[in-house]
Amino acid sequence: MNSTASASGPPAPSAGAAGPPSAPSTPSPDSPASSGSPGSRSSRAARRGGARVRTHRAHSPWLFLLPGLLITLAFNIYPFVATVWKAFTDARTLTPGSFVGLDNFQEMLADEQFWIGLRNSFLYVAAVVPCTVVLPLLLALLVHKNLPGIAFFRSAFYTPVVASVVVVGLIWVWMLDDRGLVNAVIKTLGFDTVPFLSDRWLILLSAMLVTVWKGLGYYMIIYMAALGNVPRELHEAASVDGAGPVRRFLSVTVPGVRNTMVLVGALSSVAAFRVFSEVFLMAGPDGGPAGEDTTLVMLIQRTGTGLSGRVGYASAISLVMFVITMVLLLAVFAAERRDKK
Amino acid sequence: MSPAQLSPSAGRLLRPASVATIALGTALSLTALTGCSSGSGGGSSDASGEVKGKITFQTWNLRAEYKDYFNGLIADFEKKYPGTKVRWIDKPADRYAETLSADAASENLPDVVNVSPDKAYPLAKAGALMNLSKDETAAKAEKQYMPEAWKGNEMPGLDGVYGFPWYLNTGPLFYNKRLFEKAGLDGDKPPRTYEELFSYGEKLAKKKVASLGTAPAIEDFGRYGVELMNKDATEFTYNNAKGVELLKKYKKLYEQGGLDGQAMSAGPEKAGEKFEQEKIAMNAGGALDLTSFKENQPQLYKNIGLTDAPNNNGHPNMYVMSLGISQTSENKSTAVAFARFVTNKKNQESFAHKVAVFPSTKGSLDEPYWTEGGRSPEDRVRVSSAKLLKKAVNYTPVVMTEEMKTVLKKEVSKCFLGQKSPKQALDDAVAESNKLLEQV
Repeated sequence: MNSTASASGPPAPSAGAAGPPSAPSTPSPDSPASSGSPGSRSSRAARRGGARVRTHRAHSPWLFLLPGLLITLAFNIYPFVATVWKAFTDARTLTPGSFVGLDNFQEMLADEQFWIGLRNSFLYVAAVVPCTVVLPLLLALLVHKNLPGIAFFRSAFYTPVVASVVVVGLIWVWMLDDRGLVNAVIKTLGFDTVPFLSDRWLILLSAMLVTVWKGLGYYMIIYMAALGNVPRELHEAASVDGAGPVRRFLSVTVPGVRNTMVLVGALSSVAAFRVFSEVFLMAGPDGGPAGEDTTLVMLIQRTGTGLSGRVGYASAISLVMFVITMVLLLAVFAAERRDKK
Repeated sequence: MSPAQLSPSAGRLLRPASVATIALGTALSLTALTGCSSGSGGGSSDASGEVKGKITFQTWNLRAEYKDYFNGLIADFEKKYPGTKVRWIDKPADRYAETLSADAASENLPDVVNVSPDKAYPLAKAGALMNLSKDETAAKAEKQYMPEAWKGNEMPGLDGVYGFPWYLNTGPLFYNKRLFEKAGLDGDKPPRTYEELFSYGEKLAKKKVASLGTAPAIEDFGRYGVELMNKDATEFTYNNAKGVELLKKYKKLYEQGGLDGQAMSAGPEKAGEKFEQEKIAMNAGGALDLTSFKENQPQLYKNIGLTDAPNNNGHPNMYVMSLGISQTSENKSTAVAFARFVTNKKNQESFAHKVAVFPSTKGSLDEPYWTEGGRSPEDRVRVSSAKLLKKAVNYTPVVMTEEMKTVLKKEVSKCFLGQKSPKQALDDAVAESNKLLEQV
């Protein structure tokens, strides 16, 4: 998950821009050769002063990058390349396997569980993303004004984010059980027991609720920062023009945080498409009755692990997921760009 | 995604080019199925050397309850063979297969490792376990054990035996006497056959008590007398008339309300939980459960009855636990000596006295402890199980992978939900499993 966040963080200032402003405007004879290294400007500046003091060598920046690069290579790039390769083999957890061409992908087309997983993952996106885009914004509006004691509510809304998803999931499983807290309340009110954890659609719905509930606080924080950037004058001008709170929300607040909404939409759709823990806990390792609640990541976990896990097939599903995720993101941003025009 | 790393203005900074970065990052983090290797590089050649040096011994979920027994056992071994050192590790019951596959893939399988035949099969196939029949020192141990138990570690399609037989278990059935009596059943007459199980289930269901917490598994088909596979273990056959008959009965029980609401998605752990919460009247358990009930649920313990799992053909299921030797072990002599020591008659018997399991050593089941016993329910069950064990069969086909078990579960659920007839469901399960089996 970290790779997502770090990739979308603000870009670090480039090393070249950090050079001293006194850099010469006339190119020195050796500039074509040395301009590639980030340190060239400062070393030239130093040489003009007369002394040949090298503050660092050309490879110095790489030395600083090395630990990060190695970690990325070992834990991101290598597994990714290995997954792509294995998608075309019949590898198992204990045997390396051999090249089988597109067999895995052909099998996927005929695999009922794959289509169920695909359907559930898309259902998850369709149901969860609108909620995680809109609800946290409303929540942020609720708590972004500095009222006495508001910090308590902000922290309270954020708590589910900090809690472990497994712990939270288990608590919900207990509450939603046939004889759990929620059903006890429903029974006291005189209704029939609701089979939250045994009906295939209700299982999925329950898991979605947990995902939304757990994500609210996180996206709320993002929205709170964005709300601070909406100019107050616009709100004042709108009030003077006679706009009520609803009108101001739709015409001032929403356009002001639209970019953030796109970001939240992108992040939550990727997260929703990859859902695992909540559904795994609610539906059990086999994906609920007749495997009807399996999501794609659950299917990857189920087929690719264990002593006879089919790593090749699981890798092929991963590859398909990668492509879908990519398309999903491109679609979100394409919609955003069209909006701007 | 930690919030600290995410600036709220990032939305504005995202250019389409960075979309690819996000997608790539995302995919990278989810495609963490790493490479694996196999083969048998390294390791000492055989077990004929001196018994000396360090080895690692891995058990399967035994530390919590039997720490003292194993520490004593290891101390005895180290005293008997000076200069040896045994490092004991214990892994939880959940995800044990994942632990084994990760260790085997990195050639770090513990020297002596606790396996069951279905876990030993893929390991043996990948060359991660030592073939005991091919090693002179190890093969000598054969006469130490009951012949059926020794044969229990033969693997179809592979030559030889891949584990020292350790403890045996028939898989007892726990039942809740309080719930039985609520439905007008005799708390001292548990069901013995599947016919009784289903008729009891109907009576319990009338009082809104669910009998079982899981859908039928492959062992149920075996105990019912269904031929599970052909002789060469190359094809599944449980879709025969007998198998369909059993599924029909289960479906009826499900429709009567005799199965817990979550039975279709529950595994053994979930069913165990439901039994502890007195939400189901019967549960097939492990022998280790009784100790845990005694300590954690004294209220329930008083009401627990223990019997053999219902059985239609006189051959109960036998769960075999074994000790495998890692092919990559640097110290096979000590590993084999230790595995033989743990599974010798004296040590197996003393372990079986502590836990409600049975020794696999020759002649042990003829000892008075397993033939006479006292009058307590545990004693009676122990004696009757020991008698049955002599005719027991390990039903779980070793070639049946977790994926194939999931296939069976899925099709059984479809039958329960009315999407398929019992015959169609089993036909489909067998067809899909056979397809998977071909790929192995």
